[in-house]
Amino acid sequence: MKQHNTFLGAVLGAMICSVNAWAIEPGDAAPAFTVKNVKGEEVSLAKQKGKVVVLEWVNYDCPFVKKHYGSGNMQKLQEKYTAKDVVWITVSTNAEGPLSEAKGLADRSKEAGNKATQIVLDTDGKVGKAYGAKTTPHMFVIDKEGKIAYDGAIDSVKSTEAADIATADSYVSLALDSVLAGKTVDKAKTEPYGCGVKYAAK
Amino acid sequence: MKFSILMAAGLPLVSQVMAAGVKDGHGEAELLAQSATYQTGKPVTVGIRLKVEDGWHAYWTNPGEGGMAMSAKWTLPEGWKAGALQAPVPKRFMTGELPGFGYEGEAVYLVDLTPPAGAGSGASTAECKVKLSWLTCDEKACVPGDVELAVKLAPGDGAPGKDAAALTAAAKKIPQPLQGAALKVEEADKALKLTITAPAGVDLDGAQAFPATEQVVDAADPLKFARSADGWTATAKKSEYATGAPTLLDIVLAGGKLERPLVVSWQAAKK
Repeated sequence: MKQHNTFLGAVLGAMICSVNAWAIEPGDAAPAFTVKNVKGEEVSLAKQKGKVVVLEWVNYDCPFVKKHYGSGNMQKLQEKYTAKDVVWITVSTNAEGPLSEAKGLADRSKEAGNKATQIVLDTDGKVGKAYGAKTTPHMFVIDKEGKIAYDGAIDSVKSTEAADIATADSYVSLALDSVLAGKTVDKAKTEPYGCGVKYAAK
Repeated sequence: MKFSILMAAGLPLVSQVMAAGVKDGHGEAELLAQSATYQTGKPVTVGIRLKVEDGWHAYWTNPGEGGMAMSAKWTLPEGWKAGALQAPVPKRFMTGELPGFGYEGEAVYLVDLTPPAGAGSGASTAECKVKLSWLTCDEKACVPGDVELAVKLAPGDGAPGKDAAALTAAAKKIPQPLQGAALKVEEADKALKLTITAPAGVDLDGAQAFPATEQVVDAADPLKFARSADGWTATAKKSEYATGAPTLLDIVLAGGKLERPLVVSWQAAKK
């Protein structure tokens, strides 16, 4: 059989400007939310206006999350950027188990050495759905104008090995550094890697 | 028993390949070798059999969203080379709300280990070690598995060993390129038009199709190829993580009227 090579030149690709149909995209207004933190206090996105905000989806039982907490990477990022006046919000959308309750989440966060500004519960999954949070971890950066500046993976190496952190591109750091410097984020959307967010069963 | 027979025959004592499987997390892995012996310069096919506990699944080369493909890092004697890890045809599943590709039950991956040519009579027993990392998930959790396995291969005639039949069976689940088949990818609005031209007699009706390349086709989109004027055509939803125009795509086809699984590959013309 003769090989068909008629496809050469048939790629229209770059010529077509695709309109994205997905829920949320970089540049969109970050969906508003008001949730409770582990102390029972209300935390709303609207109140953070004028500040850069990070949303970090967490599940301490997930090996990909363990990679970043066990190595101290996540805590270092939290410390580094909260020191630069970034509001870092760790979100638990876990629908069941201790991570779906204030005390359980607080205890596990303390044990993990979490240094976020806020640790909040999203047990009904409304915030997760509004943002399209898929995995733990899944990171979002919101700029001072309240727009999504980054949506995606914490870094570039999809693995559960802490040793890979050193060689990975820290997408969330790159996004935060750009936003804090008033620059455009180069990679504003990446595929998040991790365990699925444990939403409540439908 | 076998050892004593070998010794009686005056052959060197060779530790017959492998211990049983090694468990970690919710999986168990084991090495299989086509032969307990090798000839210089000739590849020996080795299988990695991964057994996944009921209720859990492991992931394919393209894991879909979330999940993680198995990695195999070989440590081989000098001059030996490991070929690409060949994964069997996966199945589709959902993990919570994330679409994925992978395996339930058992999957046997194949890899060719090639000894250097010209070692000749100086060849010695080769210990081939591999570090495997996989991920298993169910609806509630994900648990990694990390094990190290080894297989010893002695110089010899490379005759089929006790695992040869299992590896022959496993090879039937590994997609192979088909002579005369081609894949074409065209971007059309938000979708990708995929066209396969295949030799007459290849019927893709009812075959399952899987994107083996990550971040090109939306993992949730069930690909179906239908007969068209151009051959076989499917319209695929573009992955939301695709950056720019696609440059590469491999599609694995299996089942339906296909005698054996196929892989068709496309690469964008260089600009």
